[in-house]
Amino acid sequence: MTWSLNEIETLSRKAARGAGLSWGLAEEAGKAARWLAAAGLPGPQVLADLLTRNDGRDYETLCPHEEHEGTWIARGGTLCPLISGAALSDHAGRLAQGDALTLGRTASPMLLLPYLDAAAQLSGRDITVSWDGVTVACGPAMRPDPGAEAALGVAIVDSVTIKSTPSSGNATPRPAQGRADIAPETAARLDAFARRTYAPETPESRLSGAGAGLTDND
Amino acid sequence: MEQHQGMTVPPRDPDQVMRLSRLGSFHQSRLSFMRILLRRMESESWRFERPVFDIDAAGTGRAVYTAHGPEHSYSLVAFANDLPADQRSDRVIATAWDATFALFDGVPTTADLDRLEQNVPRQEAGRITESELSLSRANRSVRLWDHVVERLAAGQQPDRTTVEEVGYLMRTTAVYGSGKFGAADRERTAERPEFQPPFQIEMLSVYLTRAFVMDLVEHMALMRAPDTATALDPDLRRRFGIGNSTGLGMAPFLVTHPALLNNWIGAREEALSRIRSLPGASSSEAASLRAFARRAAAHVGEWHSEHPAQIAKLDALGADMQALLAHLENADLCADHPWNRLWLWGENALSLEGQELLASLLLEPYPHLVDGLASCMAADESATWRIDGAMSVARLRELVERIYGWALATDWNDPAAQARVWYVSEEKLEPRLGERSTEPLEPYEQPLCPGRDAARMHADLAATRETTVAGFLMRHPEHRHILRRAQIAARLPYAEIRDNTIDASVLPIDMLRMKLSFFGASHFDPRSDRWVRINMYQHAPFPHELGTRSGDDWAYPFLNGAVS
Repeated sequence: MTWSLNEIETLSRKAARGAGLSWGLAEEAGKAARWLAAAGLPGPQVLADLLTRNDGRDYETLCPHEEHEGTWIARGGTLCPLISGAALSDHAGRLAQGDALTLGRTASPMLLLPYLDAAAQLSGRDITVSWDGVTVACGPAMRPDPGAEAALGVAIVDSVTIKSTPSSGNATPRPAQGRADIAPETAARLDAFARRTYAPETPESRLSGAGAGLTDND
Repeated sequence: MEQHQGMTVPPRDPDQVMRLSRLGSFHQSRLSFMRILLRRMESESWRFERPVFDIDAAGTGRAVYTAHGPEHSYSLVAFANDLPADQRSDRVIATAWDATFALFDGVPTTADLDRLEQNVPRQEAGRITESELSLSRANRSVRLWDHVVERLAAGQQPDRTTVEEVGYLMRTTAVYGSGKFGAADRERTAERPEFQPPFQIEMLSVYLTRAFVMDLVEHMALMRAPDTATALDPDLRRRFGIGNSTGLGMAPFLVTHPALLNNWIGAREEALSRIRSLPGASSSEAASLRAFARRAAAHVGEWHSEHPAQIAKLDALGADMQALLAHLENADLCADHPWNRLWLWGENALSLEGQELLASLLLEPYPHLVDGLASCMAADESATWRIDGAMSVARLRELVERIYGWALATDWNDPAAQARVWYVSEEKLEPRLGERSTEPLEPYEQPLCPGRDAARMHADLAATRETTVAGFLMRHPEHRHILRRAQIAARLPYAEIRDNTIDASVLPIDMLRMKLSFFGASHFDPRSDRWVRINMYQHAPFPHELGTRSGDDWAYPFLNGAVS
């Protein structure tokens, strides 16, 4: 059974919110999972792994702090790629100036790719990101190394290097998929997080919440 | 008035337009999605056929209605059911319906129909695929259905007054598109010209559903009494629209699609601005406006509601129409910026319902100035979605003060200002509205209250030492959602409802009304403050009539004796 990308985005957004991210970050997490799925990468699964790992951890321990110029680390030891990714996208202008950035220990770095792709588009530059065993050129022509699936899907890396270069102008469209599979186990984990955003019904809300009460049988 | 020749009336200010009371008074217009669809199908000479109609005497079976456009064909696949009365509910909690539908991309094979028969009648509990573009269902209006079947079976026409009291034989209760329950994403078909304007898939599905329902009622009469049964008179037949019952689920869409909302409102405001800017009008354009005003008055006379708020609005609208018709009798509609003068008269003389009906009427005589704007109503939300982190905090504060001025002037400590909470229920996974003070809902609050959120962010912007948006968001991730909205609304003036969506006095039906008016719905009949019934395609030509009757001139009733 394949999923529509809209379904993947919606479930991922709700799951990220259910796992404790702010609404704004959760919206971007939903788009990130969708983007990866459309690129043929296991975005929903990597998201489910990350949310499971970070469940219950405070934003303050996961968000980037600039330890010194050009190096971001997390106070809790491991950066969250959803938070760092959003910050990287916000700092697209800084990347455009040619500044290189190094992220310290980072979980699920694959999730950085959609944000860096956005940063590349915002800045009009090519952005290259590397971690142990893999280098990806983000931008109009995102090119994961062939055969790098395992390295792309790694759970934690010790450091991530991000560099920007003038746009190569190579605008080859990346292959886009309109549907994606999600393993039932992954969907179940995301759904469990998503369910935290749903309010339990009370007898009162069941009656009044949707505003019904009049007959429909006329 | 030589000096006025070049006068341009700008589009209305979003602070005036984007109030809930005004949005909740919108009416269908030339830019409604149903009318856009029918204009296209007429001008492109779409062909229609019914390759399958396999329904038994109990009213159970399946049917296929195919529309052939220039490049693509689309098929409504309908499953009719013999539903016990005690299972008939318009609410999303229902699990069985009188009829269920999917819009298939192309012409389905028998294998496709068999697959769909296993899934479509189950609706949310089933699963569809990228070959399907929408999923929907409908229930009978039992009273009118029984009357029509009885009369037709006896060889008689149904009573016109009874027909007009209800207006439709079936009500749809949800039309799911864009990737829901496994259907194709909108992105998959958005490049096709016929689906470039918004909601064309859903409008096509409903249009074919109306044709199916009318065929079904005639078929049921024939099965009951093959010797005596007759078909509906074509003129009476067109008086049947297709009903719809819409609840809260639709309201959040307007908040979660700010660019789309902007483009809908912006197209209509641009059209109104163009017409108000006209230095003069021809006598035929003036006559056209007068004729449409009379038909609109007839429409208001046929519009009934039992809801106290809508009754009061309809009383005022009835008086508005009398005042408008009286004014039009003597007004000069040809010289000296006639439409702007009429508009300014209306702003003083008419209620909000009347003003917004006048706005729709003013578009009618000018297809060449209005209809092309239909192509500006779709939106790519992603184009304005990324946050500009380089923006200065000072600039953001200015924007917030300009866009959310009303919210900064609101006392959010007043419990009434935050009385409501939008949430999603665990039971039905549908948006709901609850009471903040008496129900434990706040932890589940959905971000559907931009004004309150903007006021909260504004307070933190005043206190921060950060100088850029990127720095501010690093410390305040809780504002990321509303900050994005503020940046979108800075570029798209009508992107944000400029009113309090969680106030004690909020009427969610205002949000539903606005959206449904853009669909082209009429006869808004609120059943509560958060649930509304409407009629769609009433008076419209049926597929087999397109080409011989106007695909556009049907949105107001025809006056007695008039021929379209």
